[in-house]
Amino acid sequence: MRPEDALRAINEARGDALVVPTMTAVPAWRTIAPEAPSVACVGFMGGASSLGLGLALAQPERRVVVLDGDGSLLMQLGSLATVAGAAPANYTHVLFANGVYQTSGSQGIPASGSVDFAGMAEAAGYAFTTRIDTLEELRIRLPELLSVRGPVLVELAVEEAELTPMTAPGGDPLRVQVERLRERLASEE
Amino acid sequence: MPENERIPAPLIVEALKAAFRGQREAPATEGEPLGWVLSVPDTHQRSVIAELEGDNELRLLTCSTEDEANAIAAGLYIGGAEVALMIQHAGLYASVNTLRGVGLDGGVPLFALVGLLSREPELEPEDSPRSMVRFAGPLMDTFDVPHALLETRDDLGLIPEYYALSRERSGPAVVFVGRETA
Repeated sequence: MRPEDALRAINEARGDALVVPTMTAVPAWRTIAPEAPSVACVGFMGGASSLGLGLALAQPERRVVVLDGDGSLLMQLGSLATVAGAAPANYTHVLFANGVYQTSGSQGIPASGSVDFAGMAEAAGYAFTTRIDTLEELRIRLPELLSVRGPVLVELAVEEAELTPMTAPGGDPLRVQVERLRERLASEE
Repeated sequence: MPENERIPAPLIVEALKAAFRGQREAPATEGEPLGWVLSVPDTHQRSVIAELEGDNELRLLTCSTEDEANAIAAGLYIGGAEVALMIQHAGLYASVNTLRGVGLDGGVPLFALVGLLSREPELEPEDSPRSMVRFAGPLMDTFDVPHALLETRDDLGLIPEYYALSRERSGPAVVFVGRETA
């Protein structure tokens, strides 16, 4: 599955969800969903799952979708337990599992190919976990994955992305993204 | 140290509530917490953590790491919630990159109560023979993060003061907890 195709499918299905992309999802999401209420996690390694958790707790009526990476999640793997403990019903954690640290040169992640992220999330206490290997299945199941009681983790088996934050830098600074989304949410209340 | 010189936990909880109320634009609605406290358990503040577990207005969330706590705080802030961190000095050192990324680059007002475990009460922290205690303040100086030392009841006003300061500066502010709370 091409990650860009998965992101397009997520964008088409997301409704008014808040989105937290990280690493290789960032440049693609910026192009695919420029108007989506998003804040990117770049520079604080592995922080997307936690950033999304905070959003989900503050906005319990709104779906929050985290576009995470397998290497990124490994950097803050304990966040699976923290998310499970907080138990946000509105939290969908999409894990793009390509098996490598693509942004730094596609070095393999530890135990690449054998880590069962969906299994780890289930063991941590996520309410719903699954693994999806094809774009067709993702498209079919997205409505469920974005509405079922969370926390949800869906592990996507994906190829490497076309772009990374290194090959396609840019986008607004984090400070701008933070204030823009905060003001947007405040104005919608 | 005599027991009566330690700050009772309920006073710190009330100071946190005052800090949150001072920044809220509207009272909390029914079912909404007044604010969040993100904790990676700290020995110095264990009585405060215990007090928070039974509090009806504040929501306590235990995090696996201080990195997480910083990022969760960012999400809560973006979502319009009030939030404070309660961590230990070792966790401050461990989470410096996230503090930098979220608090400095992201402009997120991170307020943290940071316990100085093993700090000698008779010494200023910068004079401590323990590196964990001695370098905590200078580390914050390096990042231009304002910080203060909470030791007695007379210092409780530092909590709302530095909470407000973090909002005004759109960045981190730290109150070191220099003595174990009661």
